[in-house]
Amino acid sequence: MFKAKKFIEITINNLKKEISGKSLIAFSGGVDSTVCAALVYKAIGKNLVAVHVDTGYMRKNESNEVKELMKKMKLNFRFVDASKEFYNALKDVYDPEKKRKIIGEKFIRVFEKVAKKEKIEYLVQGTIAPDWIESGGELRDTIKSHHNVGGLPKSMKLKLVEPLRDLYKDEVRNIARELKLEISEKQPFPGPGLAVRIIGEASPERVDVVREACFIVEEEINKAVKKGIMKQPWQYFAVLLPVKSVGVHGDQRAYGDVIALRSVESIDAMTCDYSKIPHDILDKISTRVTNTLKEKVNRVIYDITNKPPGTVEWE
Amino acid sequence: MVKIFVVDNGGQWTHREWRTLRDLDVETKIIANTTSYTDLVKEDINGLILSGGAPRIGLKTILGNIDQYLEKANFPILGICAGHQYMAHFFGGIAKPSKKPEYGKIELIITKDNDIFKGVPKKSIVWESHNDEVTKLPHNFICLAKSESCKIQAMKHKNKLFYGLQFHPEVEHTEYGKLIFKNFIQLCKE
Repeated sequence: MFKAKKFIEITINNLKKEISGKSLIAFSGGVDSTVCAALVYKAIGKNLVAVHVDTGYMRKNESNEVKELMKKMKLNFRFVDASKEFYNALKDVYDPEKKRKIIGEKFIRVFEKVAKKEKIEYLVQGTIAPDWIESGGELRDTIKSHHNVGGLPKSMKLKLVEPLRDLYKDEVRNIARELKLEISEKQPFPGPGLAVRIIGEASPERVDVVREACFIVEEEINKAVKKGIMKQPWQYFAVLLPVKSVGVHGDQRAYGDVIALRSVESIDAMTCDYSKIPHDILDKISTRVTNTLKEKVNRVIYDITNKPPGTVEWE
Repeated sequence: MVKIFVVDNGGQWTHREWRTLRDLDVETKIIANTTSYTDLVKEDINGLILSGGAPRIGLKTILGNIDQYLEKANFPILGICAGHQYMAHFFGGIAKPSKKPEYGKIELIITKDNDIFKGVPKKSIVWESHNDEVTKLPHNFICLAKSESCKIQAMKHKNKLFYGLQFHPEVEHTEYGKLIFKNFIQLCKE
C-alpha cells in the first residue's frame, strides 16, 4: 500500500542528493505542483524558486489566489504575466495537439528566461503518472500531449526533476493531507488551462466566455456540495463549443454559442464516469450560464460520456 | 513476498497494473516486452502480467519476446486486453477486429466458475477499451466469461495457469477488479 509519510521521507532524502544548486519549480498552484514545491522546499529551502505564469488561460481570480498561496507557503517566488505572449502564440491555432505543444514550449521559454537570469540549473515539475502515460512515446500511443511532458521542447537546457512521476492524484492528495496543505482537495485543472476548454481558436474574447461559465459551474456545484445535495465531483467545468444554435430572447431571435457542462467521477483520472448531478442543480447552472452570458451563449448541454471512450477534458 | 512483474505492451493502464499489484503488497516491476526469458527467470518471479497496448498486436505482429514466455513459463501468466489476444493467437486461436468494439462500462457475465473469479458475482460491471477481440478460442483453452457484444471476455488454459481477460481488472471502475487481482496473486503463491 502507498504510505504518504514514508514517501515524503524518502523523497526529501533523494531530492537532497539529486539537486545540487538552485532550482525552479513550475508552480500552477494545483495539487501536484504545490505538493512538489512543499517537498523540494523541505529538501533545499530557499534554493527553490517558485515561478507562477499567468498564461491568460487561468480561471477567474486564480493567479491572484496562487500568489497568496506562494506567500503563505513562504516560497521564494516569481510571478510572470505572460498572457499577451500566450494569446499571440495561439492566434489562429485550432488543432488541440498544436495548442498543447505551443503552450508547453511557451512555459519552458518563460522558465528558461528566469533560470538564465538567476543562474538556475534544475526545473522541478509536479508531473504525475497520467501525464506521461497519456503523452505516449515508443510503444504507447499519444492520447494527448501534456504540456509538462509531451509538450516539452526538444531543445531544453534545464535538468528535469519530477519526484511525483509514479503517483496518481489520489496518492498526491494523501501527501498533501499529510503535509497539511490547504489545496489537498482542489479539483484538477489542466496545465494549458482554459485554452483546452475552448474548442477552436482560444482567443481572448472566447476565454472570457468560458472563464465566466467555468466560474458559474464551480460556484453552483460548490454550493450544492456545501448544502449536502451532492458530493463533490472529481472535476467539473464548462467547455465552449464551436457550434452555434438558434434561441429566443424576449420574443427576439437569438443565435449564440453552446456551452457543454462536464463533470466526472474518478479516483485517478485513468477511468471516469460522468457525474449524476441532480436535475435541480443542472437547471440552475443552465439558467445562470445563459442569463449571465446572454450576448454569447444561449444553450447548455450536459456531457454524459465516460472515460473511455471520452477523456475528461475535450482536448 | 510474492513477486509478479508487468510486461509493458504500451497500454494506457500498464502502470495501473503495477500500482494494483503494489497496493496488494506484491513485489513488482514494469519490464519491457523485449526482456529475454533467460533474464526474466533470473528474477525468480512467481507470476507475470501481459499488459494491453495500442498496437494491433493481437492480430499479426510479434510482440517482443512474449512468445518465449508463453512457450517456457512454468508460473502463472495473466494476459490483459491485447495481452489476452496475443495469448490466444500464440496458442492457435484467432484475434480479429471486433464487430462491436467496447469502450467504457460493460456488463460481464461469468459463464464458468474458476479460481480467477472466486467471489465475483455472475454479473458485474467491468471497464473495457478494445478494438480487437478473440473470436476463436485456442483448442487447449476454455472460455470463462462473455459480454453482450464479445463472446470471449475471459479464457483459461486447460492445463496451465495461463489466463486471458479482455476487460481491465486493473482500473478503479471495474467493480471486482481488485478481487480478480487478489485471486491471481493467490494462484501465483500456490
